[in-house]
Amino acid sequence: MSVPTDLKFTKDHEWVRIEGDTATFGVTDHAQEALGDIVFVELPEVGRSVDAGEAYGVVESVKAVSDVYAPVAGEVIEINEALEGEPDLVNSDAYGTGWIIKVKISENNDSAELMNPEEYTEFLDE
Amino acid sequence: MRYLPHTNSDRQAMLESMGLHEIMDLFTDIPKEFHTKLGSLDLPDALSEAGIVKKFTKAAEKNRHAGNTRCFLGGGTYHHFVPAVVDYVISRGEFLTAYTPYQPEIAQGTLQALFEYQTMIARLTGMEVSNASMYEAATATAEAALMARRVTRKTRTVIAGSVNPRYRTVTENYLSRLEGDYVEVAMGEFGTDLSQVIDAIDETTACVIVQYPDFYGSVYDLAPLREACDAHKCLMVVAFSDVSAFGLIESPGAYGADIAVGSGQALGIPMAFGGPHLGVFACKQKYLRQMPGRVCGLTTDADGKRGFVLTLSTREQHIRREKATSNICTNQGLMCTAASTYMTLMGDAGLETVANHSAAALDLLVSKLPNGVVAADGAHYNETVLTFASQEKRDAFISEARNNDIFAGIPLETIEKGAEQIDGNRHLLVATTEMIEEDDISDYIQAMEVAL
Amino acid sequence: MSNTTYSATSGIQQEERLLFEHAHEAPESISLPGVQGKAPSSLDVFKRKSAANIPGLSEPETVRHFVRLSQWNHGIETGFYPLGSCTMKYNPRVNEQVARLPGLAHVHPDQPEDSVQGILGLLYELQGWLTEISGFKDVTLQPAAGAHGELVGLMMIRKCLDARGEQGRKKVLVPDSAHGTNPASAALCGMYTVEIKSGADGRIDLDELKKHLDDDVAALMMTNPNTAGTFESDIKEICQLVHDAGGLVYGDGANLNALVGVARPGDMGLDCLHINVHKTFSTPHGGGGPGAGPVAVNDTLKPFLPVPRIEKDGDVFKVVTEDKQSIGSVLSTLGQTGVYMRANAYISAFGHNHIHKIAQDAVLNANYVLSRLKDVYHVPFEGLCKHECLLTDEWQNKHGVKTLDIAKRLIDLGFHPMTVYFPLIVHGAMLIEPTETESKETLDSFCDAMLEIAAQCEAGDTQALHDAPVKPIRRRLDETQAARKPVLVWSD
Repeated sequence: MSVPTDLKFTKDHEWVRIEGDTATFGVTDHAQEALGDIVFVELPEVGRSVDAGEAYGVVESVKAVSDVYAPVAGEVIEINEALEGEPDLVNSDAYGTGWIIKVKISENNDSAELMNPEEYTEFLDE
Repeated sequence: MRYLPHTNSDRQAMLESMGLHEIMDLFTDIPKEFHTKLGSLDLPDALSEAGIVKKFTKAAEKNRHAGNTRCFLGGGTYHHFVPAVVDYVISRGEFLTAYTPYQPEIAQGTLQALFEYQTMIARLTGMEVSNASMYEAATATAEAALMARRVTRKTRTVIAGSVNPRYRTVTENYLSRLEGDYVEVAMGEFGTDLSQVIDAIDETTACVIVQYPDFYGSVYDLAPLREACDAHKCLMVVAFSDVSAFGLIESPGAYGADIAVGSGQALGIPMAFGGPHLGVFACKQKYLRQMPGRVCGLTTDADGKRGFVLTLSTREQHIRREKATSNICTNQGLMCTAASTYMTLMGDAGLETVANHSAAALDLLVSKLPNGVVAADGAHYNETVLTFASQEKRDAFISEARNNDIFAGIPLETIEKGAEQIDGNRHLLVATTEMIEEDDISDYIQAMEVAL
Repeated sequence: MSNTTYSATSGIQQEERLLFEHAHEAPESISLPGVQGKAPSSLDVFKRKSAANIPGLSEPETVRHFVRLSQWNHGIETGFYPLGSCTMKYNPRVNEQVARLPGLAHVHPDQPEDSVQGILGLLYELQGWLTEISGFKDVTLQPAAGAHGELVGLMMIRKCLDARGEQGRKKVLVPDSAHGTNPASAALCGMYTVEIKSGADGRIDLDELKKHLDDDVAALMMTNPNTAGTFESDIKEICQLVHDAGGLVYGDGANLNALVGVARPGDMGLDCLHINVHKTFSTPHGGGGPGAGPVAVNDTLKPFLPVPRIEKDGDVFKVVTEDKQSIGSVLSTLGQTGVYMRANAYISAFGHNHIHKIAQDAVLNANYVLSRLKDVYHVPFEGLCKHECLLTDEWQNKHGVKTLDIAKRLIDLGFHPMTVYFPLIVHGAMLIEPTETESKETLDSFCDAMLEIAAQCEAGDTQALHDAPVKPIRRRLDETQAARKPVLVWSD
C-alpha cells in the first residue's frame, strides 16, 4: 500500500494536506480498506469550527460506521459534495477525489499528533 | 411430549456418542445450588391439545367481544373489518415462522412484502419514505420525538394536549431521562387550537407533535403549523390513531409533515385486547438516515436480478450501539404483511369506502342525538366526544346500552385524567367504523332515550 | 450426497412482480359493510386532492401474489433454522388456533373489566408462570419486544438508584459479547456503557469486572448463558461483586431456553430479566415480529414495575393504572396480549412435569452438533455448551473460505444458515442453535452438510462455496448498492 509523501497522518488513519492556511482532510487507504465499501459520508456544514481531534463527520460502510476526526483545528470552508452521490470515491481514490473537507486552519494552530509518511508506514506495520 | 421429536433411545444414543451417561451431565457447569428439582415448579399439569383448546375456549367465552356486541370503542384501537385473506396470508408458515430476513436470498417473500408495505404506507400518509414498522403508536410517537432531537440537535419537545394521552405519557416517559424540556399545550376544549400550539414553539424547539384527526376525532387545517415550524426550524410531527382516515381526508404529508407516526391497526389487524398492533413511521427522504427501525431496500443479486435486502443497518443498534437511532430490534414484521395484504385487497376505492362508511356512521349517530346529549363541535372523522348532563346520566346510558349488547364508548376520564375540559366525568368518547350498521345506531340512540 | 432436501425447489417457483407492476386498473372495490353513505359535508374541505395510489387487486390475484411471495421464504415449518441466539423452535399450531378465538382476538382494550375477565385471567396466569419459571417475584407484560424490555429494566434500575439517592451512578457495564441493543438501551436512559473484555474462556473475567466496579456503576447487563453459548459459572460471585459495589444486575433473557425448568436466573442473584417469549416460549417470529419482552423482577425492583398491570382481588382480575413509584407506562396498552395467548398455551402444553425437557433437549442437541463438528471446525471455547454452540471459520480461512461462504453454501444444501459474525469476540463466528424441536435425523443431516463443506475446503474444491447460493430464487444480493442509493419505496 503506497502512502503519499506530501501528507501527514493521524493514529485514527486520517490524512491532512496543509497548503498555506488551508488544510484538506480525508481518510487513508488503510482506513477505507478496513471499512469496506463506503456507502455514505456525513459531511459537516460549511462555516462550522472544528477542534483538533473533534469528530467532524461520519463514514459508513454496509456493516461498519466510523467517526472521522479533524487532524488540525479550523473552520470548514469547503465540503466534498461529490461524496453525496458517489461515496465510493473514498474507496477508489482515498488520497485524491475522495477527500472529505477543507478547513481554514485556526490561528491557534492546534493539531492532533501528526505523523510523517515514514512514521505512518511504520505505525501501520506495527 | 408432542413437540419434542426425540425418543429416549435417541437421547441415550446421542449422549453415549458424546461419552455421557445422562442428560443432566450436560448441566454440570451450572452450580449445584442453582439446580431446580426437576418437575418442582409451581405450574399445573401438562394439558393435551384438546385440553388447551377447552381451556382457552372457556376463557374466551367469559369475555364479551366485537363479534357478539356492537363496539363503539376507539381511543386508539378500532374494530374495522378484517378480510379472511389477510389472516390466511399471515398464517402461512413461510411468513409466520420466519425470522428477521438476515439471509435475504431465502427471505425474499418477507422482504418484498415489506417493500410493498413501505411503499403503500408512504403513499397513504403522503410521506416520501416509511420504515418497516414500530411496535405501536405510542412508542412510534416517542421515537419521532427522539429522531427530531437528532435531526435538529435541539432538545425541546412541544406536544398538543389533543394528542392521545397514552401517546403523550409514553413520549414524556421516554424523554424524561434525557436533557431538554417537554411541553404539553393544554387545549381546554375537545379539539385542537393550533394557535396555542404555535405560540408554544420557540427557537430551541426540536419538534412539535400534533394528532390529526386528534384524540377527539376532530379534523382541522394543519397548514398554519407548517409555517410556524419553518419559522422556528423545528420538525412537524403528525400522529394519528386510525390510519383509515387517509383513505378520505388529506394526508399528513400533504400538509408538509416531516414525520408521520401512528397506528396502522385499522389495516386488517384485530384489536386483540391491545396488541400486537402496528406502529407506522414515515418521514421525508432527507431525514432517512436518522429514521429509527428496520428498513427494506431495493437492490440486485449476483445475476443482476431485482431483489430486496434490509438496509441502512448502520443506523441500528447492532452496529452503532449507543449511538444508534433507536434501541429497537424486533419490529412488527407480520403485521406489515397483514397491512400489505389488506391494502392490496382494498385499493384506493376500498380504503375510501371504509373511511366514508366510518365517517357516515358517526355523522348519522350525531344527527340523532336526543336533547341532553351534545357532541363536540367541528368536523370529525369517526370519533367524537359526547357530553351528558351528569355522570349519572352518562353511566345510566352506558349500562342501558350494555344491556343491549352495545359498548357505548369510553368514559373519557379513564384515558384522559385531569384535563381542564373534563368536568364531572360526564363525557364519552365514541367511535364508529364500517362494522357499525344503521340498526346498531338506532339501538344506540334508543338505549340513550330509555336511559335519559 | 449427505442431504437430498434442497431449498425452494419443490413445485414450481414463480417470479412475482411488485403489486404496483400488475398492469390493470383496480377492479371493482371489495364490498364493505356499514352505513352505506358518504362522509359528512363538513369533511369536504379536508378531502384528499389526489388518491393515495394504492393499486388494489381482486381477491384471487391478491391471494396468488402473497402465496407466491411466501414460497420465496424459509420458515421453521419449511426446514431447519439454527439461528444462534434466536431460538427458532417449532411454533405449535394449536397456539395459533386459540389466539384467534373471537373472544380473545376481537376484544377491545378499553372494554369494561367485567367483560374481559377471561383474557385478564389468562394474562394473570401467565404473569405467575413467567415469574415462577424465571425465579423472580413479579413480572410486567408491557414491553413489546426484548429491546423494549431491556429499556424497561434499565428504567427501573435508574428509578431504584434514584430512590436510593444514587443519581450519580450512570455507568452500565456490558460484556463485549453482549447484544447490540444493550448500549442503545442504556443511552436512552441517560446512562453510558463501558465494555468489559471477556476472559480467555469467553466468560466474564472477574478481575476485569472488579477493575470497573466503582461508585459510578449503575448496573451490569449480562446474558447467561452468554452469546458464546457457555454458562457463566461465576454468576453468584458476579452478582455479589456488583451488588457490593452498589450496582444492580440486569439479565438479558435471550438465552433462557437453555435453563427453562432446570435452573432459574432469579435464584442466582440477578435483579431482573427480560424474557423473549418469541424465543423461549415459541411465539412465531413473523419475519421480524411481533415479539414480546416481559421483564421479571426481584423485590428490589418490584416497586418500580410499569403500569398498567393486572392484579387479582378475590376472584376478580383488575387492571391497575396508577402507582406512585412505578416508572409509568411504555406502551399504549397492557402489552402484546395476542402474543401472550400463545405463550400461555405453550407453557400449558408442558406443565410442571415436562417443562425441563425444553432445556434438556435444547442443550442435548447443541452439544450433539458441537461434538459432531468440533474436529473439523475450530471451537474457540472448549467445554460444554448450553443451548447453542460457537464455531469459527479459522480452519477454513486457509483455503480462502469464510463464514459467509459456509453460510451461503448451507442454503444450497437445504438449510437456513446459523447466526454469522456474532458474537464479535471471535473472528468469523458461526453460532448454531438447533433448539429442542429438531429430530436427531435433522441434526445429523445438518452435521453431514457441514462436514461435506469442510471436506470440500480441505480438498480445495471451493468454487461451489464462493458461488453459493445458486438454488434459491435470488443469489447473493448487493448490500452496498442498497445502502449507497437507498430505494425504500416504489415509484411508478
